[in-house]
Amino acid sequence: MNQYKARLFISFSMMILLLLLVGFFQSWALCLTIVNLCLISAIMALGVNIQWGYAGLFNVGIMGFAALGGMSVVLISKNSVPEALQAGGLKMFIALFILAATVAAAVYLHKKFQRKSLVILTILIGYFITRYFYSDASQSIESVNPALTGYLGGLGLPVLFSWIAGGFLAAAAAWLIGKITLGLRTDYLAIATLGISEIILAVIKNEDWMVRGVKNVTSIPRPVPYEIDLQQTAWFQDMIAKFYSKSLDILPVADQAAALKDYISEASILMVKLSYTGLFTSVLLLLIILATLALNSPWGRMIRAIRDNETAASAMGKDITKRHLQIFVIGSAIVGVAGAMLVTYDGQFTPGSYIPLRFTFLIWVMVIVGGSGNNLGSVIGGFVIWFLWIMAEPVGFWLADLSTSFLNSENFFRQHLLEHAQYIRLIFMGLVLLLVMRFSPDGILPETNKKL
Amino acid sequence: MPWFTDILNAVVLMCNFMIVPALSYGSQLALGALAVTLVYSVLRFANFAQGDTMAFATVVTILSTWVLQNSGISFGFMPTAILAMPIAVIACLAYVLLIDKFVYEYYRNQNSKPITIVMASVGVMFITGGIVRFVLGPSHQIFSDGARFIITTREFKEMTGLSEGLAIKTSQFLTVTIAIMLVGFVFYFLQKTKTGKAMRAYSDNENLALLSGIDPAKVVRVTWILVAVLTTIAGVLYGLDKGFMAISYHQLLLPTFAAVIVGGIGSPIGAIVGGFVISFSELTMTYAYKKFLIYLLPEALEPSGLVQFLSTEYKFAISFVILVIVLLLRPTGIFKGKVI
Amino acid sequence: MKKCLKIIVVLLFAMSFSVAGFAAGTVKIGILQGFTGPIESLTPPMALAAELAINEASDSGAFLGGTKIVSVRGDSTCIDASAATAAAERLINSEKVIAIVGASCSGSTTAVVNNASVPNGITTISSSATSSALTMIKDNGFFFRTAPSDARQGQVLANIVIDRGIKQVAITYTNNDYGKGLSNAFTGVYTKLGGKILMTASHEDGKADYAADVASLSASGANDLVVFGYLDQGGKGIIQASLDTGAFDRFILADGMIGPGLTDDLGKGINGSFGTMPGGESEAAQKWAKVGKASGIPLDGPFRDGSYDAAALIILAAQAGNSADRASIQKHIMDVANAPGEKIFAGELKKGLQILAKGGKIDYVGAKDIEFNEVGEIFGSYQEVEVKSAKFETIKVH
Repeated sequence: MNQYKARLFISFSMMILLLLLVGFFQSWALCLTIVNLCLISAIMALGVNIQWGYAGLFNVGIMGFAALGGMSVVLISKNSVPEALQAGGLKMFIALFILAATVAAAVYLHKKFQRKSLVILTILIGYFITRYFYSDASQSIESVNPALTGYLGGLGLPVLFSWIAGGFLAAAAAWLIGKITLGLRTDYLAIATLGISEIILAVIKNEDWMVRGVKNVTSIPRPVPYEIDLQQTAWFQDMIAKFYSKSLDILPVADQAAALKDYISEASILMVKLSYTGLFTSVLLLLIILATLALNSPWGRMIRAIRDNETAASAMGKDITKRHLQIFVIGSAIVGVAGAMLVTYDGQFTPGSYIPLRFTFLIWVMVIVGGSGNNLGSVIGGFVIWFLWIMAEPVGFWLADLSTSFLNSENFFRQHLLEHAQYIRLIFMGLVLLLVMRFSPDGILPETNKKL
Repeated sequence: MPWFTDILNAVVLMCNFMIVPALSYGSQLALGALAVTLVYSVLRFANFAQGDTMAFATVVTILSTWVLQNSGISFGFMPTAILAMPIAVIACLAYVLLIDKFVYEYYRNQNSKPITIVMASVGVMFITGGIVRFVLGPSHQIFSDGARFIITTREFKEMTGLSEGLAIKTSQFLTVTIAIMLVGFVFYFLQKTKTGKAMRAYSDNENLALLSGIDPAKVVRVTWILVAVLTTIAGVLYGLDKGFMAISYHQLLLPTFAAVIVGGIGSPIGAIVGGFVISFSELTMTYAYKKFLIYLLPEALEPSGLVQFLSTEYKFAISFVILVIVLLLRPTGIFKGKVI
Repeated sequence: MKKCLKIIVVLLFAMSFSVAGFAAGTVKIGILQGFTGPIESLTPPMALAAELAINEASDSGAFLGGTKIVSVRGDSTCIDASAATAAAERLINSEKVIAIVGASCSGSTTAVVNNASVPNGITTISSSATSSALTMIKDNGFFFRTAPSDARQGQVLANIVIDRGIKQVAITYTNNDYGKGLSNAFTGVYTKLGGKILMTASHEDGKADYAADVASLSASGANDLVVFGYLDQGGKGIIQASLDTGAFDRFILADGMIGPGLTDDLGKGINGSFGTMPGGESEAAQKWAKVGKASGIPLDGPFRDGSYDAAALIILAAQAGNSADRASIQKHIMDVANAPGEKIFAGELKKGLQILAKGGKIDYVGAKDIEFNEVGEIFGSYQEVEVKSAKFETIKVH
């Protein structure tokens, strides 16, 4: 246990030191950007860790849940588009209602009568009615000023609500998906979730009436002030002037105004980023506390018992599928929250940006490297891997440059290497994953309460 | 007999737009799926690095094709790449054996959970994808030469006098014939040879196989040899047909997996059938039957819409919908795959 | 295990220190492009084109009294807004670049402009972000683009198609904001002019197979296919598959599809196809072709000329203000880009720099006939091009 504490201390203090070094030697703005994205990554990794580390569920559909979380930001925070609502809102509502009714009727009939023909008939009728209303509605919505809107818009609520909504949306989707797939074996579950996340993305990309599809939604309102506004706020200007008064006084009077302007602009950037850091950190802390409490509760012990020996647990009368469903929903909801936070931070929702490499596999690398089953492990994993992912690129150039510096600049090999240096990032990520898995399979922070 | 010509036209239309492309795409998927299924049944993990390994083998082929072309060697109407393929097979084999030695062997000896090895294959996927882009760059490369068509639509129309044409590309012809030969060979190998039987025994029951004196190292080696051959050929055929691009090879992984599962994971015949199920369903579900029906139906009944089940936007999702349905209704796939 | 951890830790530390050398008398220009990701095959030549302008100016010795310019590349990944922002911030804050050429895709460009360029006050010129939404972006005057908005091109192309007497088409577009925006713009104008669109379908780039897309497009009954895509991606795949199956033999193309890469590979099969690409005054294009060819940059493909122009504009603006200061660059971009002044074409940066050094005025025309409007966009004239004996030939300028 003491060894574990030492590890915990060393790994976190090293990470903090690294980030501080970036701040000192490169810039504080870059440092904070990295920190903020590390925090979001850590939350995503936490969600995956709950599924994998607590219950052994191999979910490769993280991308889909993150995208759903992101979608909720648009649905909550953007203003509604009255023209579009008028044009097709009602019809779309009817279409969706009929769709839901059809599914409900099909499920009911299936349970009650067990007659396949009846179920298929219901689905077919429902499909055609839905399609009748739907295609009309989507067309009229999408034709309302397609370059700027062309969608129903959102509720116009403060953007922070969308973090909660993102969690709920992802949870609802996870419940549905879990109902369908959780009976499957691990590797089937993996491939099924991979497929389902692609389906979710296909729907988001192609149903423009929802969130504009590939046309992207930009200028999403922020929960924190804008840099430009801060720069023009009197109290902020005064504060910075006071803070830097010493270094300003040294300068000749003529240069003071320009220097102060530089300081203010730099400080406004840091201020905005710091506010995000504060928000993200509180969410992360809250989630970790909740997760740790849950893990150590009787419920958490039951979950781990199921993971370690399903047969024994089921012999003791535990409902395994139900527990797995709970875990699946909770984990996915956390990923959804992180997805919403990411979109808020970026200020835009671009469905094209969701690719499995970045949103699924990279998160998995975080979980494995950090230490599966350990919440703090996935936090440190999120930090380390995101840091590597961002920093591997300049280091790739640097390595390519250094290793061929003895060649002259016209040399084919040197040119090729420099031109292709950005792909070193992929090789590098793969190597880190393989090395950690091989030589430190428990990750940076191993699971503490493995044995019950 | 105008009605007869109409039917012929409809059939030719179907062949040209659906059957020929689906056959060649299906064959390409099937070879990749066969490789995935072999790895799964013998080495017991789903190989996420399959698509990128195909890209690796194709890169070697492209480089050697360029060398061959520069030294003036060609292969008549066939693409020069066919000549370069043996080199690529050897390179690919060396690569997968190296990876196996440094990555997978350790976990095999540790008796790790399948999921651990899957994660390791994700690592291999990252590295291989990086190497591929590092060597050849990410851009689109066309490396097929020789005659492009066996028959073009115009030739076909002139020959038959029909209003619809049928085109068959050399690469499509090669794809289907080579795929049939290769699949035949793999089946013969698995069913009839001693090593093949040993592989099947090992895949069925590892412990029993070990007891009966089968050398596991040899089984693993032979599996990788087969995988290297299948991977290289699948990659090269695909590249000849559609050109090489690192990212599309990476994305081939998803339909390949779908093919494997739909067919029944671990079942070689299932992999083949799965490949064709995926390719045919993508085409049949998104095809607009308007023109086809115009040929067949009397004028009064001619459709005004496109008569399309799903828009092509969802083409990509179809393989996964099928995948999910198969998993729900028959989790072991069409041909009973492995249930561990 | 210890060893491996040690190596990782050492590497991590090496990263945090990776401050690039900053030699005196040198300034840096950031080139932020999607070097990995879906348009990774388009970006390397774009970067080379920008670096061509940088080297030309740097080697001329005329820039700010002999100051050297070097380029620093950053990967915007095209799709990952956060990675793009982080890369931009690295360029701005640790590499201390004076301005940025980029980012590649409209999505990552929006993120970079909102989250990095505007707050830091750094000029950003994109050569490939064509989304019409970017016209409205609140950029405080820091964002320019050397690629005209899609809305304009869709309009020009629709008029050409109608003028040629083509009343029915099918459209396939690449499923991103470029393809969709262009498709919407085209559809709006074309239907208003009396044209009929029989089918509109998107295609995904880099996918395995386009047989299904072509099959349904051909079944729509249209004789002409409008392709809004990229010439080394799905767009070409669609044309290839159409030719192979004989589904279409005339294609209507937009800028992303036009370049020798298409005609070299597809040859006579697409004779008679036509389309639009930005660029008007043929003198500018010819001079660029000469400069580009001499440098060995593969000229087939979109956005390369614009990248050259973007870098050139930054350099000239710095010269005009006689300072590599960020704010000064932003102030002078419009001056050097627009009339009045001596016209400067691609390959004539030395001349331009010398004029500016003497306090004269220039009107940078560059490779793409640059003339910015009040929001920092080129209005862009378009060439109508047609494939004749397997080569794109300019018919006229719109």
